Parts: sequence; structure tokens; C-alpha cells
Amino acid sequence: MSAAAATCSARPTPTSRLRAPGDAAEDLEELFLRWQRDGDHGAREELVQRFMPLVRGLTRRYGGSSEPFEDLMQVASLGLLKALDRYDVERGHPFASFAVPTILGEMRRYFRDSGWALHVPRGAQERALKVRDAQERLVNADGRAPSVNQLAEYLEIDIEEVIDALQAIHAYSTISLDAPRPGVDEDDGAAYAESIGSDDERYELVELDATISSVMGRIAPRERAILRMRFVEDLTQTEIAARTGISQMQVSRLLRRSVDQLRAMTTTPPQREAS
Amino acid sequence: MTASAIAEIPNVRLSLSNSAENVVLVRQALSGLADTIALDALELNDIKTAVSEACNNVVLHAYDGAEGPLEVDICGHPAGLCVMVRDRGRGMPPLNGVVREPQAIGGIGLPVIQALADDVEFRDLDEGGTEVRMEFATARRGALQQPQEADGLDRASAPDPELANSASIAVAPITLARTILPRVLSALAARAYFSTDRISDTQLLADTLVAHADDSLSSSHLNITVSATPRNLELHIGPLYRGRADTLINDRAVDGLGCMLQQLADGHEVTSAGPTEVLALHLAERR
Repeated sequence: MSAAAATCSARPTPTSRLRAPGDAAEDLEELFLRWQRDGDHGAREELVQRFMPLVRGLTRRYGGSSEPFEDLMQVASLGLLKALDRYDVERGHPFASFAVPTILGEMRRYFRDSGWALHVPRGAQERALKVRDAQERLVNADGRAPSVNQLAEYLEIDIEEVIDALQAIHAYSTISLDAPRPGVDEDDGAAYAESIGSDDERYELVELDATISSVMGRIAPRERAILRMRFVEDLTQTEIAARTGISQMQVSRLLRRSVDQLRAMTTTPPQREAS
Repeated sequence: MTASAIAEIPNVRLSLSNSAENVVLVRQALSGLADTIALDALELNDIKTAVSEACNNVVLHAYDGAEGPLEVDICGHPAGLCVMVRDRGRGMPPLNGVVREPQAIGGIGLPVIQALADDVEFRDLDEGGTEVRMEFATARRGALQQPQEADGLDRASAPDPELANSASIAVAPITLARTILPRVLSALAARAYFSTDRISDTQLLADTLVAHADDSLSSSHLNITVSATPRNLELHIGPLYRGRADTLINDRAVDGLGCMLQQLADGHEVTSAGPTEVLALHLAERR
């Protein structure tokens, strides 16, 4: 690992040292011979520099940003070193097609051994909270809800990761939004969960004049109020969030949950009867 | 396993153009599928990486810089998944032919696909273009029913040069659409610069559609074509049975809340075509 680590921290090769594409093949053959036959470490170093873009490309492709990039680069570099030792120039296959499975194999083993799959939910949890907090900061700064692009830029993550987080917040009950919200819950130290749901009575007052259907009556007052704000008053989720003192992400989730509940209670949709 | 002869009916078909941002839609569809069949995170990562490479190849190389169709079929098998990525253009460079080293350094797509899929097959299509078929053996826990009919798929697969900004997705069974549709629509809403407010509304709309569309579909697959332009999404849902678009849009789940779909959308229109009809829903960013 130490050799790979040293390789990783090396500065990128100056462009002047890169050969034109045309003479790369013979050049590579020469380098492989010098390393494998003569044990020339300079040649190996040169090969490592040459194939660093491959290592970097594979790390980015396979790892996304689920794991610290530098750690994964080290693992991938180790795979490259193994491939440099085992590659058979005589057989005439391009080095990349030989090296890719070796490097990927190294990364997959690392993921498996480090229990990456088990940690993914935790990563998703952290990201959901980051997206929630970023959303609030941007709303406070701009006065309106941000786009996915703005969130991705602000958090320096992929657009896809923001979409994943939004979906997780919306649909996965395993993702908790109960962590304190910076600037909201910090001062009094109250847990986020405690700051909501305590003023149900206030919501009851709001709808004193409204007839509550038997189905709506079975929805908790806070959720009922949010449903009305969204679907009757046609407020945006950010407006609802401002009015109720919870985050827009929490509004999104509560809407989804209560709509699901309503749907479950009205088991027979009208169109079923029509057929 | 030589599976090339089996003309399978896919659970999911995405009919897209070969723009780079459409690869995200394919990845979101795979994530949604993983949710339904409880796919292991490592397996999903392998599959997403390999399929993305196949799609990127179509994006970069199939049409010489021009625009063309990118089609992806996903089939769930008892022992795994099969994903087919098709283009109608020049297709993949020959795998066993001479791959020049500089190109191999930049273009590591094929070796990645070969390393991650359990079986890979390339074939030229009669109608032009190439298909990459990737088999993935998975230890999946959830069951996925194979669709019995292919009706509704042909529409989606017809390459339409007008549809550079639009994406078509066909999903069966409908339970699969529950996890796939909100993700794909969110990705398209993100592309239309929707705020998080409207993206959440889009997710709710997708949930609502999937929950109520089952009896309205006149085909085995739920078929949706979406066009995304700045601050606007246009959804075309169908074919539906005649009269069902109105039922869908006017469905009042609960007294006092109005019609959910109408509330979430900014407008709708029903277009009849013979014995069926298509529901068009318009969503706009509100600012």
C-alpha cells in the first residue's frame, strides 16, 4: 500500500512528459520491458504516471462520491500496480483492457470488506440532512426555494446525489429529519422533533369553520392543516414551512405521508366502480 | 447463456435522445428498480456503472456528434437483471478488433462493462444500430413480475427526431412504477430548473398518478412521455381507455381537498385517439 500511497500523492505529470498519441504504443512496450524484465523502477513510475488518468477515471466512475476520493484512489492505484506486474506485453492486448478488471476488482473488494453497503444508509442520512439545511439557507438568502442545480453547486455534490437525497427525504421513512436545524433549533437546543407538533391546538383553531370529513378527521391536526394549506389555499411548500416553523423537506414528507394515509383510507377509487 | 434469441418484454423501457444528461434518467430508473426488488447497494453500484458506460458510449460515439435515439430496456429475471442499451447509429467500435491504446486510456467504457457484467453481448440490429446486452446475476430478494404483453411499447420505442428534449418511459407492472416514476420525473423536473417545492409536488403527482392509473391503462405498461423545457414539464400519459383521463384528473380522494392531480398540475388536456386517449398534464415552476 505504501508504494501506491506515494504514487497517489505525486504531482500530475507535466504535459511535456506525455508522448504524442502516435508513438505511445511502442513507447509503452519499451517501458513494460524495462520494468518487468530489468526491474527499472523509473520505468514503473513512468507507467504509473501514464495510467493515473485511467485510475482516476475508474475511481470517479465506480466510486461516485460515496467514499473519500483519495482513499479509493489509493485502492485503485494498488490495483494498477498489480496490473503493471502481471500484464503480458507479448500477448498484444491493450493494457487498459487488462488493467480495468484488476483495478475494479480491487475497489469492489475494498467496498465489500469495508462494509460499504451497510454504510450507505448512513451516508444517505447525512446527505438528506445536508440537503435540508442547504435548502433552508438558500431560502433565507434568496427568499425562494432553490433548484437542484443551486443545491448541487452549494453543497459541491452531483446533481444526481441531490435528486437521490430529495427522493430519500420524500419516500424513505428510514431517513430521519429529526436532527436540529442550524439557526433554528440551535439557540434553545431543542431537538427538531420537539419543535413541531406541539401546537396542534393552533391548527385546530384555523379550521374551526371548515367541515372536516370523516376521513380527514382521522388525519392528525398538523398534517390536516398542511394538506389544507397546500391543496386548498394553494400555498407553496416553502410558504407552508415558513408558516408552520418546520422545514420544507419536512412539509414534503408530511404531505406524502398524509396523502398516502388518505389514499389507504379511501380504498375504493371511483374508477374501479366504473369498470 | 445465449439469450440473444429471446425477445423479452422489458419491465422498463426508456426511449431517450443521446444527450449526456439523459444518462441520469437511466440511473434513476435503475435506482427505482433497486428499491422495488431490494437490490444490494454494491450490486446496484456495479449495474449503474456498467449501464452508464454503455449509455455514455451511445452519447459520445454512436452518432458522430449528431443527435439520435438512446433506448434502454430493463428486464427482471428470477436470477438477476438484463439491461439492453441500443442506438440507431454507428454503434460500438468492434470489441475484438484493434483498440488503439490512447483511445483505450480515454475510452475505458468497454473494459468496465466487461468487468462488471456477468455476460455481455454486442449485436448489430437489422434496422441499423447496435445493441449491448448486459446480464447481471444478482441476489435480489424481491420478486418482479414479467409483463405478459408488449402493447404500448412500440409507441415509446419509435425514434422521434422532434423529441430532443423529451423522454419516454414505459413501466410494467405498475408497482414498479411506484418507485421508478417519482425518481425519473424528479430528474426531469431538476432539468427544468424546478425549485425543491415544485420537485416535491412533482413527486406527489407521480405518486398520485401511479396510485390511480392502474385501471385506466389500455396497455400493459404505464406509458409516459415527458418534455422538459426551462420552468416547464409536459407529461403525456397514455394510452388510456376512453373517458379514463377525466376520471383520473377529477378523482377526489378526499372531500375538502379537491382533485389532487388538478391541484398539483397547472393545466391538463385530453386528446382522443381512436378507442384510447392521452392525458396531458402541464407543470410549471411558480415564481
